[in-house]
Amino acid sequence: MAVTIDGSAGVTTNTGAVYNSIQSATAQASTSGTSIDFTSIPSWVKRITVMFNGVSTNGTSFKLVQIGSGSVSSSGYTSLGSAGYNTSQFLVTSSTAGFVIYDNQAAAALSGSIVLSLISSNTWVCSAVLSNTAGATPAMYSTSGNSPALGGALDRVRITTVNGTDTFDAGSINILYE
Amino acid sequence: MTHRIVVDLATGTTTQVEYTAEEQAAYDAAVAAQAEAPAEVSAETPAEPTVEPTEGV
Repeated sequence: MAVTIDGSAGVTTNTGAVYNSIQSATAQASTSGTSIDFTSIPSWVKRITVMFNGVSTNGTSFKLVQIGSGSVSSSGYTSLGSAGYNTSQFLVTSSTAGFVIYDNQAAAALSGSIVLSLISSNTWVCSAVLSNTAGATPAMYSTSGNSPALGGALDRVRITTVNGTDTFDAGSINILYE
Repeated sequence: MTHRIVVDLATGTTTQVEYTAEEQAAYDAAVAAQAEAPAEVSAETPAEPTVEPTEGV
C-alpha cells in the first residue's frame, strides 16, 4: 500500500484517509488573564489533552474548561467535578457551564491532564485527573462529563474560572491534539 | 484593563487580548457584586486534618 507523508506530519493512504500524528501547542505561562484560549484547532482533531503544570489563580472559584466552534460554548454541559482531600473529605460539584474542576483554594497549584474526546457529531466527553500538592490541604481532583453538540467542528478550548473574574497567577498550560 | 490570553494554533502566535469596554464593565460589575455579597462559611474548603496521637511501639 502506498502512503504519502506530507510536510505537516500527516500520513495519507491511497484510499484518501489522512492520519495526523499527535501535535503539541506551545506551553503558555498561566500567570495573568482571566482565561486562556487555544484557538484554530484543526477540524480533524478527535482528542485533546489539556495539561496543567502548577496552575493557580488568585481566587477560590472553581476552574472551568469550555470548548466551542466559532465561539466558546458556555451552557449545555453535563459535568461533575470532585475533590478528595487528605482530610478524608470527598466533595462533588456540578456545572452546565463547562467541565468543572473542584479546586477552590487560591493557594492550590494544579497539575495533571484533562482529556477531551470526540464521541460523535461534535459532542465531546471529558475525563480528568489532577492534583494539588501546594498548600495545607493536598487534594486529588477528578472531572468527567459531556458537552453540548457544538454547531460545527471544535476549534477552540478555553480554560477559565466559574466566576470569570479570578486571574491566573502561576503555572503553565499546554495542549496536545490528535 | 483585564485581559485574556489567546493562543492561535494556525499562526503560532500568542496574544494578550484586552477586554472590550462592554466586557470590562461586566467584569467590574461582577467583581463589585462579589465584594458586596455576604461572606460565606464554605463547606467546600476542607478543614485541617485531625492528627490522632499514636503510641510508640
